Amino acid sequence: MADQLIASDSVLTTAQREVLDALLDTIIPPGGDREMPSASDVDFLRYVESNTPDFVPDLGDILGQFDAEFVRCPLMVRYERVKAFSEAAPESFDRLLSEVYACYYQDARVLEAIGVGVGPPFPRGNTVEPGDLSLLDPVSKNKTTWRRSPK
Amino acid sequence: MPGSAQAPVDVLIIGAGASGAAVAWSLAETRMRIVCMEQGDWTNPAEYPTNYPDWEQRLAGTDSIDPNVRARPTDYPINNDDSPISVVNFNGVGGGTILYAAHFPRLHPSDFRVRTLDGVADDWPVDYDTLEPYFAENDRMMGVSGLAGDPSYPPKQPPLPPLPLGSVGETVARGFNRLGWHWWPSDSAIISRPYEGRDQCKNLGPCTSGCAQGAKSSTDITYWPVALRHGVELWTRCRVREITVNAEGMADGVVYYDEEGEERHQRAEVVVLACNGVGTPRILLNSTSAQFPDGLANRSGLVGRNLMFHPVGFVQGLFEERLDSHKGPQGCAFLSNEFYETEPERDFVRGYMMQIVRGGVWPWTTAMHGARTGRIPWGPGHHEAFSRRFDHTANIGILCEDLPEEHNTVTLDPELTDSDGIPSPKITYTLSENSRRMLDHGVARATEAMEAAGAIEVTGGGPARLAGWHLLGTARMGDDAETSVVNSWGRSHDVKNLFIVDGSIFVTSGGVNPTSTIQALALYIADTMKKNLANLFD
Repeated sequence: MADQLIASDSVLTTAQREVLDALLDTIIPPGGDREMPSASDVDFLRYVESNTPDFVPDLGDILGQFDAEFVRCPLMVRYERVKAFSEAAPESFDRLLSEVYACYYQDARVLEAIGVGVGPPFPRGNTVEPGDLSLLDPVSKNKTTWRRSPK
Repeated sequence: MPGSAQAPVDVLIIGAGASGAAVAWSLAETRMRIVCMEQGDWTNPAEYPTNYPDWEQRLAGTDSIDPNVRARPTDYPINNDDSPISVVNFNGVGGGTILYAAHFPRLHPSDFRVRTLDGVADDWPVDYDTLEPYFAENDRMMGVSGLAGDPSYPPKQPPLPPLPLGSVGETVARGFNRLGWHWWPSDSAIISRPYEGRDQCKNLGPCTSGCAQGAKSSTDITYWPVALRHGVELWTRCRVREITVNAEGMADGVVYYDEEGEERHQRAEVVVLACNGVGTPRILLNSTSAQFPDGLANRSGLVGRNLMFHPVGFVQGLFEERLDSHKGPQGCAFLSNEFYETEPERDFVRGYMMQIVRGGVWPWTTAMHGARTGRIPWGPGHHEAFSRRFDHTANIGILCEDLPEEHNTVTLDPELTDSDGIPSPKITYTLSENSRRMLDHGVARATEAMEAAGAIEVTGGGPARLAGWHLLGTARMGDDAETSVVNSWGRSHDVKNLFIVDGSIFVTSGGVNPTSTIQALALYIADTMKKNLANLFD
């Protein structure tokens, strides 16, 4: 089934891509206070092909669970259908969710929007405030608490 | 490289981690021929996860702290089926220091006298004062950041200023102050300033994956470069199967497999085990002979017994304000020893440390954990729930002292083996009632602290499963050969030229991360060996 859905050059048909986009839009819709992109805006398919090619057959199977009508449904209807799928096939859905989140939360627009530096932590690094060590004043005034121990 | 594998060496150290590196460095000045065999490789900091966009996924897979998930050819599988706590380790130059959080407290003076003070377990044959110079020497060698003046310890002076408290530290510290509880910036084996040719910490976030910056003091970049310059040989991809003995019952070398899987024998005058509290009993139990049918150095029957972890609880507080929780360093905001010592009114003996940590709450990790706990839904409402939690949490780890019990064991699994066919370790461990009560107390107190700090939601529990970082007690030290495996300076009671220097010689576990004490002990043992070179085997 998977090789019928995923072409040899790993490009989905238009219909399959529409199902995938609708599925991704359901899992992470656009919006929120920070005007976040949807999961369909972050090139999930390219991520899968380059990072987790072993997932391609499973993805094909998952897409096969949703028909063309799914694409035209409003968000909450799609949500109920995906929820039903997640309950019927929890392991498949958990893997899908993991990969969708992995792709989404590596995307530069997403990282910037949530206040995380773009790109891997190294060599970028982070700034952390030293903190107010005068908070230690009441602790420093305490007598020693370690127990003296016999030889 | 083991080109001259048959030529005898003076000292053969097995394991290039925290203790093996310290011993190698200390013994180097003797100008003896010292070889260290390490089953793993050198790690390349340019390949640590934080160099890659998918670093969070690497942490969960190819670079997992769980050897059974990582499953590299250099790892050995571990059967944890009969334990609520799974072993965490790393096999390579640097050992566990490659992936530790580098929280670096010392054991307290009372930890060495638990029988005398509290009537439980046994006193150690060494004490804090004996080890103090070695703690200080180790702090200098590793590069430790901290702040002098902690009233919960005897005076000490970390060589570098403390790591930043950050928003997480400040926020939770205010809660501790409201309760009048002890807290203090952690001693951390992470350099806060440039030190010995290494650049300072830049707060990457995940310390438990190898530090690409080189600020975390793993022994591949602290002790080993110096030891190698002083002539110690380090042979990687050499996996020891067993220690061999001669007709007199002295260790005379090891059988090991090289990188190609070829079986070799290396002779040695002295053998030093530095393989941690699981790896060391594994080798000893694999080293059977007519003289030692139950395993080498095991006439007491205690090799592999008295396994101690530190059962760990976690409490997470959710705060209205943003705390920059994803930034590093991961495990080192501050600690509290408020509940470290025995108090008669509690329903347990001994105590625990609270470790206030940040990190571990990165974007993908937060989203996945939120999905699995139902706190961050996928679908409509995802962004709002994610925003409410991401970077808004602080965590307290509760690290409980685990008392020795002979039924907690490392044995050889009857079926499981590593890639060279060497029997793997099997862990059999039960959480004691004392530890259970201590954990419950710790979770309740940490919850109280979070609420005092202003958390709007607090969750927690324990013991955490994948938290077997600290592997202790399985070849305990003592003065009596009937009740211990090694003497007060790490020498086997049964085999006079066999030494053990890792966490397996701990008599009790204390309630703090043990690496600082493991290394201080290793330096002490090495120093004692040097002082007794003329009559080392008497």
